Amino acid sequence: MNFDLPAVNLPYAITQWAGFFLGFLIVVGIVSLLTSLSVYGTRGVAALAGGVVQGIIDLFSLSPRRLSALASLTFKEAVRRKALLVFVVFAVLFMFAGWFLTGGVETQKDFQAKVYISFALRTMTWLLLPLILLLSCWGIPEDIRQRSLHTVVTKPARRLEVVLGRMIGFGMIGTLILAVMGAVGYIWIIRQVPASEQHQLICRDPLFGKLEFLDREGGKGLGVNVGDRLDFRSFIEGATKARAIWTIENVNESILHSNNCFQLESRFEAFRTHKGDFKRTTYFQYTLANPDNPAINVPLSLIKIDEFRNNANFVTVGPTIQLADAEGKPLSNAAPPAEANKDFFKDLVSKDGKIQVQVACIDPGQYVGMSRVDFFFRKPDKPFAVGYAKSLIGIESLLLLVVFLGVAASTFVKGPVATFLTACIILVGMFGQGFMDELIKAPEIGGFTGGGVFESVYRIVTHMNPTTELPAGPAFFIMQWVDYLLKLYLWSVRYYIPNCEHFMRMPEFVANGFDVLWAESLLPAMLVTLGFFIPCVFIGYFSLQSRELESK
Amino acid sequence: MNSLTSQQRKLVYLGGILLLLIPIIYFGLPSGGKKTADGQTQSSGGRLAQLRQQYDLGESNLGDVDPSSVTMNLVLLGLRGIAVNQLWIQMDAAKDKKDWTSMLEATQSIVKLQPHFEKVWDFNGWNLAWNTSVEWDAVPDRYYWVKEGGKFMLQGVGRNEKSTELRFRAATIYQKKIGIADESIYFRKYFRVDPDTERWKNGPDTDFNTGPEGPYQAEGKDNYLVASDWYQAAVDNEQRWKIPLKQGTLDRTAFHSLPARCLFDYAQGLQKDGQFGEITREAWANALDSWINKFGREELFSVFGANAIPVKFVLEANEEEIAAMASTPEQEAMIRNAIDSFQKIVNYRYWRTRGMAEAEPETAQAHREFFEAGEAYKQQKWRDALPLVESAMKGFESMLARYPDLRIEDNTIEEAMLAVLMWNNIYKLEILGEGESLPQEFPLRTLWQENQGRMPEIEREFRLRYLTQAGQ
Repeated sequence: MNFDLPAVNLPYAITQWAGFFLGFLIVVGIVSLLTSLSVYGTRGVAALAGGVVQGIIDLFSLSPRRLSALASLTFKEAVRRKALLVFVVFAVLFMFAGWFLTGGVETQKDFQAKVYISFALRTMTWLLLPLILLLSCWGIPEDIRQRSLHTVVTKPARRLEVVLGRMIGFGMIGTLILAVMGAVGYIWIIRQVPASEQHQLICRDPLFGKLEFLDREGGKGLGVNVGDRLDFRSFIEGATKARAIWTIENVNESILHSNNCFQLESRFEAFRTHKGDFKRTTYFQYTLANPDNPAINVPLSLIKIDEFRNNANFVTVGPTIQLADAEGKPLSNAAPPAEANKDFFKDLVSKDGKIQVQVACIDPGQYVGMSRVDFFFRKPDKPFAVGYAKSLIGIESLLLLVVFLGVAASTFVKGPVATFLTACIILVGMFGQGFMDELIKAPEIGGFTGGGVFESVYRIVTHMNPTTELPAGPAFFIMQWVDYLLKLYLWSVRYYIPNCEHFMRMPEFVANGFDVLWAESLLPAMLVTLGFFIPCVFIGYFSLQSRELESK
Repeated sequence: MNSLTSQQRKLVYLGGILLLLIPIIYFGLPSGGKKTADGQTQSSGGRLAQLRQQYDLGESNLGDVDPSSVTMNLVLLGLRGIAVNQLWIQMDAAKDKKDWTSMLEATQSIVKLQPHFEKVWDFNGWNLAWNTSVEWDAVPDRYYWVKEGGKFMLQGVGRNEKSTELRFRAATIYQKKIGIADESIYFRKYFRVDPDTERWKNGPDTDFNTGPEGPYQAEGKDNYLVASDWYQAAVDNEQRWKIPLKQGTLDRTAFHSLPARCLFDYAQGLQKDGQFGEITREAWANALDSWINKFGREELFSVFGANAIPVKFVLEANEEEIAAMASTPEQEAMIRNAIDSFQKIVNYRYWRTRGMAEAEPETAQAHREFFEAGEAYKQQKWRDALPLVESAMKGFESMLARYPDLRIEDNTIEEAMLAVLMWNNIYKLEILGEGESLPQEFPLRTLWQENQGRMPEIEREFRLRYLTQAGQ
C-alpha cells in the first residue's frame, strides 16, 4: 500500500467531537438568543426556552410508525423522480468500460485487477454522490414550493420526524441503488479479470507492527531519504548495521495457515547507488527475534526484492524455523543453521504476544526502502467479497453523510443553494483537508513558512524572502495578529468540515488486495457519518421549526 | 393573449423548426468522412465541415479517431480544462507515491482529453520510458516500462498524423533508451526476444518492435534499424507537411542525418554483440552508402549574413558541383562555408571515413580478433588471448595507417588503447619473468604513447568490460 493511516483513538475522538459539538451549541444558542431578543424583545428568552423544550418533547415523542411512513413517502417520491434511471448510466458505463480501461497502453498483468476494482468502486461513488446530493437537497424545498409539506405538517407528524423521515428515506434509496450496483459491480469485476489473474482478487488480512530504524552504526536512526519527494519510505544501507525493525503485537496461532506456517509479506523498494550486476536484483534478509531478549533470534534465508510487488514468504514454526513453500516444505535443501532450531511461539514470541522482525539489506552500496505498512504478518486471506462489501459500507457511509448534510441544508436554504453548500462541504472534505492541515501547521513542524494571508501578500508584493524577518512596527504587529486570528478561525472551521479521506481510501484497500482495516478506515468513516448525524438533525429540526413554510 | 389554437401553435413551431434546420444543415452537416480511391471525401458536408477539411482541423484529419476520447470530451462539455488539470495533479501525485498503475491510468485519461497536444504525448512517453523504468530494480521490469513509453509514443503518432516531433521522439526511445542505456545489452536482446516469452512466444513484442508502416515480420528488427525507420518517417513527415521543427528538437541537418546515423549505430551494435562476419561488414557498407549517397546527396539549405541570404548545398558535393551550384564567387564561398560547417555539425567526415574503414574485411577481422581475445581474457585464457590481441593490434594499426583521420576519434582510440592494455596485462600476467620488461616495439605504440592522458578512463572501461560481472 502507498499510504499509512493511523488507527482512530476512540476516547479522544469522542471527547473532541463532544467539545466541538458543545462549542457549536453555544454559538447557536447565543445567535438564537440574540435573534429571539431582537424579534420578540424580552419575551425572546421565553420563546427560545419554549423552542428548546418543544425540541426535547419532539425527540421523546418520535413515532416509528410515522417515521417509516415519512421515509417510505420519501422513497416513493425519489423513485417517481426517476432516481433509478441512474442504473441506465451505470449499465452504459460498465458496458463500455473496456474502451477506457484498455486504450492502447496495457496495464501490467499483475496489476490488472487493481484497475478494474478501482474503476468499479469509483464509478459507483461518483454516480451515486450527485444523485443523492440532488435528491436530498431538493426534497424539502420542493415540498415547500409545491405546498405538499403542508399536508404533512398539518397531520400529527412532528417536524423532527419530517427531517428524520427524509434522511431515512433518502438513505434507503441510496442503499438500495448501492446494493444493486455493488452486486453488478462484483460480478463485472469477476468476469472482467482474466482467469489467469483471478488470484489477484484477494482480501489480505494483515497484522501490521510498529517500525523503528537502526542506522549504519547500529544506533537508533530514522532511515535514509534517497531523494524521494515524499518521505513515505525510509531506506537502510546494505551490508552495514542498518536495520528496519518491526515490533508486532498480538502474535498468536491465528496467524497460521493451513500448511501450519505463518506468512511474512513485504513490499520493499530497492535503491542502487551503483548499478552493479544488472541481472542480480537486490537482496534482503529477515531475522526473527524475541523482543524481550533480541539475542534469541533466527535469521532466515536471503530473499530477492521483487520491487513494487508483494513478496510473500511462508515460514515454518518449528522445530526448525526456515522459509517454506506453499505446502510447508523447506525452500532450501541446505541444512539450516543451528540457531534455526527453535520453536516460533515458545522461543521467539514474547509472553505478551510480541515479536520483533529485523530486516537487513545484503548488498553493499545498495539500499532497501520501507514504510510501516510495507511489512506484515499475512493471516489466512478472507474472501474478496468481504473486503469488497466493506468498501461498499464505506461508500454507504459517505452517501449517508451527504444525505444528512443535504437534508439539513435544505431546511434553511433553497434547493440550488443547499446543493452548492453540501457539494462544497463534501469536496473540501475530500480534497481540501490536507491543504487546510498544511495551512494550520506551524512552520517549525513542516508547515508553510512566510506567514498567513496578509503577511504572504506583503512578502510577495515586496519580494521579501520567507526567511527574512519582518520589520518591527505596529502595522506589522497588527498584520501578524490578523493572520493569527484567521488561522485560528481556519483551525476551528477545519473540524466542522467532515474528513472524507477515510471514505476515499477504502476502495484503495480493496484494489490493493487488502481487507478494509477496521480501526484505521472503516470505524473512522462511520464515526464521521455518525458525528455529523446529530448536528445535522439538530440544525434541520430547528431550522424547519423556525421556518415560515408559506414563504417559498 | 394568444389567439392561435393549439394546433396552429404546433404548426408554427414546426415551421420554426424547419426554418432553423436550414442554417443548421448549411453550416453543420457532417462530411461523408470516408475517402474514395481518388482521395476525395464522399460528400463535402456543411460549411463548417468544408472549412475543417480545408484547414485540416477535423478530428479525422489530425489522426486516428479514438471513440472513447471523443466521448469523454463531449461528456465533459466545457469542463475539459478543469478535468485535465485534475488528472495532471493525480498523475504527478501517483508518480510521487510510486503508484505506477494509477499513474498510467491517469496518463491514459489525460491523452484521451488532450489527444492532439504533442507535448502531452512527448512528456508522458518520456516519463514512462525514462523516469518510470529506472525506478524498477529488475531489468525485465525496466524494459516493460520502456516498452510502455514507446507504445505510448506510437499511440501518439497514430493520433497525430502530422506530428514530426512524436515520430522523432519514438525513434529516440528505440535508438537511445534501448541502444545506449546502461542496460542496453539486455534491452537489445529483449527487443528481439521479449522477456514475456509466454505471451510473445519467444519472439519480439510486435506492438513495440514495429515500424511506421506496421509490424515487421514475426522475428522483428534490431532496435537501431527500427529507430532508423522511425527517424526516416519523421524526416519524410517534415518534408511532406513543411511544418518547421520545434525549437529544441535538433538542427534540421542533424535531424536529417539520423536515419543514416542509426545504421552506423546498428553496425557498431553488432560489433558490441560479438558479430563480426559478413553481416557486420555489410551493415557498415549499408550505413556508409546511406550516409554518402542518400544523406550526403540531400539538398540542404542555410542562410548567411545579416540579410539572411539563402544557400542551398549538398554535403557530398565535389568541386564541380560546388561551382555549378554557385553563380558568384561570394556564393561559392558561402556554399563552401556551409558544407564545412554542417559537415562538422553532424561529424560527417568522421563517419564517412569510419564507414569506409569498417566496411573493409581487414578491419572486420581485427574487430573479431579483439572481441575473441576479450572473451578469452575474461576466462583467464591468457595464452589464447595473446595471439588474437596482437593480430587485432596489427589490424588496427594498418587501418589507422590507411585512415589517419581516425587517429583523433574517441571510439577508435578507446578500442585501440584497450587492445594494447590487454596485451600489456597478458604480458605481465603470463609471459614476463621476474625482472623482464615489455617489448619496446609493438603495434599501436605511437597511439599508446600519445594518449597516456586517457589512461584512467581506459582502465576503468577495461575493468568494466573484462574484470567485473557486468561485463559478462
